Amino acid sequence: MELNDGNLQTLTEFMRKTLDPDQSVRRPAEKFLESVEGNQNYPILLLTLLEKSQDNVIRVCAAVTFKNYIKRNWRIIEDEPNKISDPDRTTIKANIVHLMLSSPEQIQKQLSDAISIIGREDFPMKWPDLLTEMVTRFQSGDFHIINGVLRTAHSLFKRYRHEFKSNELWLEIKLVLDTFASPLTELFKATIELCQTHATDINALKILFSSLTLISKLFYSLNFQDLPEFFEDNMETWMSNFHNLLTLDNKLLQTDDEEEAGLLELLKSQICDNAALYAQKYDEEFQPYLPRFVTAIWNLLVSAGQEVKYDLLVSNAIQFLASVCERPHYKHLFEDQNTLTSICEKVIVPNMEFRSADEEAFEDNSEEYIRRDLEGSDIDTRRRAACDLVRGLCKFFEGPVTAIFSGYVNSMLGEYAKNPVVNWKHKDAAIYLVTSLASKAQTAKHGITQANELVNLTEFFVNHILTDLNSQNVNEFPVLKADAIKYVMIFRSQLPKEQLLQAVPLLVAHLQAESTVEHTYAAHALERLFTMRGPNNSTLITPTEMAPFTEQLLNNLFKALALPGSSENEYIMKAIMRSFSLLQETIVPYIPTLIGQLTHKLLLVSKNPSKPHFNHYLFESLCLSIRITCKANPTTVGSFEEALFPVFTEILQNDVQEFVPYVFQVMSLLLEIHTSSIPNSYMALFPHLLQPVLWERTGNIPPLVRLLQAYLEKGAATIASSAADKIPGLLGVFQKLIASKANDHQGFYLMNSIIEHMPTESIVQYRKQIFILLFQRLQSSKTTKFIKSFMVFINLYGVKYGAIALQEIFDSIQPKMFGMVLEKIVIPEVQKVSGPVEKKICAVGIIKILTECPAMMDTEYTKLWTPLLQALIGLFELPEDDSIPDDEHFIDIEDTASYQTAFSQLAFAGKKEHDPIGAAVSNPKILLAQSLHKLSTACPGRVLSMLSTSLNAEALQYLQGYLLAASVQLV
Amino acid sequence: MPTTSATDDRLSKFKNKGKEPSKLRERRIAECVELRKAAKNENFLKRRNITTLPEDADQSPELNTDNHEVTAITIEEVVGDVNSDCKERQTRGCQAARKLLSRECNPPLKEIVEAGLLSRFVEFLGRDDDPSLQFEAAWALTNIASGTSWHTQQVVEHGAVPAFISLLASPMLHISEQAVWALGNIAGDGPAYRDTLIECNVIPALLSRITPDTPVGYLRNLTWTLSNLCRNKNPFPPLSAVQQVLPSLIQLLHLSDQDILSDACWAVSYLTDGANDRIDIVVQTGIVPRLVSLMSFEALTVVTPALRSIGNIVSGSDIQTQVAIDAGVLSVLPSLMRHSKPSVQKEATWAVSNIAAGPAQQIQQLLTCGLLPPLIDLLRNGDFKTQREAVWAITNFTSGGTVEQVIQLVQSGGLEAILNLLTVKDSKTILVILDAINNLFMAAEKMGETDKLCLLVEELGGLDKIEMLQNHENDTVYRTAQALIEKFFTDEEPEGLQTDATEATDTTFAFKTQDVQKTFRF
Repeated sequence: MELNDGNLQTLTEFMRKTLDPDQSVRRPAEKFLESVEGNQNYPILLLTLLEKSQDNVIRVCAAVTFKNYIKRNWRIIEDEPNKISDPDRTTIKANIVHLMLSSPEQIQKQLSDAISIIGREDFPMKWPDLLTEMVTRFQSGDFHIINGVLRTAHSLFKRYRHEFKSNELWLEIKLVLDTFASPLTELFKATIELCQTHATDINALKILFSSLTLISKLFYSLNFQDLPEFFEDNMETWMSNFHNLLTLDNKLLQTDDEEEAGLLELLKSQICDNAALYAQKYDEEFQPYLPRFVTAIWNLLVSAGQEVKYDLLVSNAIQFLASVCERPHYKHLFEDQNTLTSICEKVIVPNMEFRSADEEAFEDNSEEYIRRDLEGSDIDTRRRAACDLVRGLCKFFEGPVTAIFSGYVNSMLGEYAKNPVVNWKHKDAAIYLVTSLASKAQTAKHGITQANELVNLTEFFVNHILTDLNSQNVNEFPVLKADAIKYVMIFRSQLPKEQLLQAVPLLVAHLQAESTVEHTYAAHALERLFTMRGPNNSTLITPTEMAPFTEQLLNNLFKALALPGSSENEYIMKAIMRSFSLLQETIVPYIPTLIGQLTHKLLLVSKNPSKPHFNHYLFESLCLSIRITCKANPTTVGSFEEALFPVFTEILQNDVQEFVPYVFQVMSLLLEIHTSSIPNSYMALFPHLLQPVLWERTGNIPPLVRLLQAYLEKGAATIASSAADKIPGLLGVFQKLIASKANDHQGFYLMNSIIEHMPTESIVQYRKQIFILLFQRLQSSKTTKFIKSFMVFINLYGVKYGAIALQEIFDSIQPKMFGMVLEKIVIPEVQKVSGPVEKKICAVGIIKILTECPAMMDTEYTKLWTPLLQALIGLFELPEDDSIPDDEHFIDIEDTASYQTAFSQLAFAGKKEHDPIGAAVSNPKILLAQSLHKLSTACPGRVLSMLSTSLNAEALQYLQGYLLAASVQLV
Repeated sequence: MPTTSATDDRLSKFKNKGKEPSKLRERRIAECVELRKAAKNENFLKRRNITTLPEDADQSPELNTDNHEVTAITIEEVVGDVNSDCKERQTRGCQAARKLLSRECNPPLKEIVEAGLLSRFVEFLGRDDDPSLQFEAAWALTNIASGTSWHTQQVVEHGAVPAFISLLASPMLHISEQAVWALGNIAGDGPAYRDTLIECNVIPALLSRITPDTPVGYLRNLTWTLSNLCRNKNPFPPLSAVQQVLPSLIQLLHLSDQDILSDACWAVSYLTDGANDRIDIVVQTGIVPRLVSLMSFEALTVVTPALRSIGNIVSGSDIQTQVAIDAGVLSVLPSLMRHSKPSVQKEATWAVSNIAAGPAQQIQQLLTCGLLPPLIDLLRNGDFKTQREAVWAITNFTSGGTVEQVIQLVQSGGLEAILNLLTVKDSKTILVILDAINNLFMAAEKMGETDKLCLLVEELGGLDKIEMLQNHENDTVYRTAQALIEKFFTDEEPEGLQTDATEATDTTFAFKTQDVQKTFRF
């Protein structure tokens, strides 16, 4: 592409078309631009347009197009063609800084971004003069240009804040420091002087202060990795100016906006960060300056207003004080009683106040409010910062701080008492203060686990919390109610049980409150109380203690779901689940009503599943209803099926993907409860379960396998007689699963159930194919997980059909196959089998091979007999070998990740572990002894001679132990 | 893509790398780029002789060492004198040049070189007939060699090396001493000139001057020059040279003069700053107990290099480390960890981090000797550089320690201390802490106490901090934090459901094997 007017004209036209609202005009133009962007000169044409076009729209459009082009194409990827010609690269780098700086702001931003993208690839080695070019612009005196340079520098340097130290990185930083640090310092000083000369010119000040903020950000980046020599030598200049700026106030720069932080706030906030960086990392060098900064930041806090625009500054400033006051050598800056008192009074208390913004969130954005207040996503809030400062101060001054706050708490409560309607916020602050003062350690599971002993939590509960909860009108002062409920919840591990029991009915009553926050907190508090452990691993609150409130509790929980805004409230649904689980058989009388409500809810949410937590707890609650009811009376399972199957059918028919895995789990649970043969309703579904589409979704696989296992356990005979044509499809599922490294164990679960339950005659024709598939997989990709499952399977097969059958089928596929599998797989790997049932199956299977397989005694397999016995004794006696080969480590992670995230296992649909051998063999070691005894009597002398020639001494000793225990002797 | 931990580069600096991944030691990073001021307590590579001789004051007033008056002499005059054939003028010129070169500010090194005086100075070194000329010339050359590499190069290229080496044998002690000094400056320039000197057999010539009667001042200079001959890597000094120097170095280490001890210790620290075979040569001499005792010396100038040497040695093999432990290093380290100087605390902690990277028996010795309390104290209250070393110590401890040892660490407050450091402004340190947490969880898994550890981490405020790290700008940090959360802290909460678009093709799967049968081999 020539750099000529014709091409510029063409580009202009197409560029204009890319802005056309009509897609049929826009698309082809975009396509055209994409098709020509590989040509040499294309980026140069864009730069020409953005510089010289008469049409401002085209200029901006060219700038954006250029930036996106750079973003897509600049990086040179190994083994891929260079997408921008070298002459173009050179031209771009030679002109872009100048262009950026001489362009209006809209274009400047795009080019600045482009420079940082290029810089990330080329700077410093392939763009050595970038910095010098930028630095010379500092001399220009034009702050439009200077800010452009500073902004670009910031985007180039900010990665120094998070990258790992490396020689390469530090070489770059060193180079930057050499060219940049000194001019930056001069600029900093000059800018500050200009601020003084222009102290009354608001427009000039605005530009100068944004320069100062950028300079402060650059300071942070350049000083992040280590304290550079230059900045150590110039610390006085920087720190005294930073200090002055912190204390500076200029009426002109104050903004009316309450929300958005002004220039002054942004600058001071960055300076707080800079001071915090030095205090944390370069303490030794920074020590002389620190006290001054503490005072300045403190004064800043005292004067900052309550408006949202100060939030970032205030929280940064408080965090700075919090981090300093815990360090032993700065303790003295805080220990004076007056200092402590005024920190408490002027910094902490004001920042704990409930502000109008909080009130708005409480009423109109309850989800956000709950997330911040309950789940701790309040990292940057003032309240959180104030709390952190309380904790920091308590490290050295717990006594005095507690005493000072007690005074405040009492006076705030006094204010409240005088006129609750007006002063309720004082009580809110008092409760918050007590909470932050008292809590020293906290977990989601137990609430506050360590409390400040100087605070009497029970007394406060009785005098100030219980009173609020007891008030007849649950809708009065909702914020204080929510505070009170939260108090019970977080201090649950600290309060005596009798107080908690006193609170329970009150919490139940508050489930009816109109305020979303309030009834959500009530549900959450109950849920947490119900999970508390009492003595003997039982729940702290027993079903008997709950008996008087059970009906009310269940009623109110379900009614709460009908309150506006809470129809899919996960806290309430979780409380329902937890209540069921706690109350157990006491809920049975209510189930017929409740199951209807739950089913109805399920029908509603299945139209548009949007709250995964809510839905999960809903299914858990269904499972609990089924289990609890059927435990008392298994025949009721039919009524659940009657209630649930219509909804389930709809879910399956509409393919509600989020719910399908849950449905399979609930169905498994139901089917497993059946004691007689499999109902027809299930059999009708059977062919559908084998549809490939269901198995394509990883989240379906575990619950579907479990469901098929339930089918086999309860209905193998029915399948064999009335659905024999489906057996190849069932085996097809197995074939699909074992082909996948992630799912092969699921394939084995299925196959084990087939072997265990299906009548022999209906699978005999497939046996050889099954083994061939397994051998193919073993040959092509052998993983530890596969081998473990494979060994369990072949041994189960041997247990079921006998060792001879096992040996014969192996050897019929390929001569000497049986020996090869024993030698290469079983003997070296059996130690890796995990799980008691799996180990038992392998032990019994191997015993059969050793003692019931003539080929092991009479053919060349004989040489494997002792090694196999040795491996078996190892399986009994040695610790499990949990090593995996190095190269497998990563495969496993990749393959299993998708399965873990996709599958939502229901805790209350859990299945008991199944032991196919069961009571038939209680102690495999005794079985080994007895079987060996039988073998030795059949061929006297041989067993003993094999043992004495090649079994190692340790194994022999163990074996003698087994023989002794079984009271048998070998002959 | 397999995620290689970004701690790998540091881990590869640990000595046992490749032997067993859990027992790795840290090695000082070779030739790394520094942003900071050069450490104030390292010793000098080169020194200028700016002492004034008592007789200088007695000389003619215009040659008084008072700087303002010295500048009165011009380089031209000096050149004239030095190049003349008159012995007196030569001496006077040399002395004037030496005084110019000895003034405190802006000595005219370059000017003297460019005036072409070096070949004359070198020539004067051979004037055994005129010791004072020899002395002045040696001094002038010493000071030029103390300049930049370029200056040193000029001196060497004018043939000064053999001349100075011969001068070592001068019967005049002060002349010989000046030669020692000059050679020290040349050796300090770098490995190339160091090895040039060694090839010219400087070592035997130097060592022959060590006698019971050698004055202390002379020995100080000599020890310093020896230390420069041991200094620098890439390449290290030849093994034969090290073998030659070591016996005398050991001898010097048993003297009591602070300066001699300091430079001798620095020499040892250079010799031990290398691979295990280098460390072994030093350890074999049996000097380790003496080094350990010097760690408690009163002067910091001795403590620093002694500590550095021991730090290097414990970064060696387990056996080398054990030698230091047997010499009692563990009873000295606690007081150094509580030293008033942060730089000493840091070096001591670095040594501890390397001992903690050893086998469980050595970790046990750390515990028995009470190193855990000062270590945890430093994690809480040390300066940042020390905290960083202490974090490494904890991570190494958790990766090589037994379950019981790890429990003791947690009970002593180690967990709380590292969790508090998760907000530190250094990505690498955060990653190393996350590694330690992961190690703790592996120990907890072995005991079946994962849940208990989860609660403890949460109580100590660690969970909040790890959760926050999921927003960290460093990729590796946030992924590691995320992995920890996913692995250990997501029990009861259900995961989001995956929704995969699928294509249905058939009503069932086919079950069939390929017709072509290969032979199976496993």
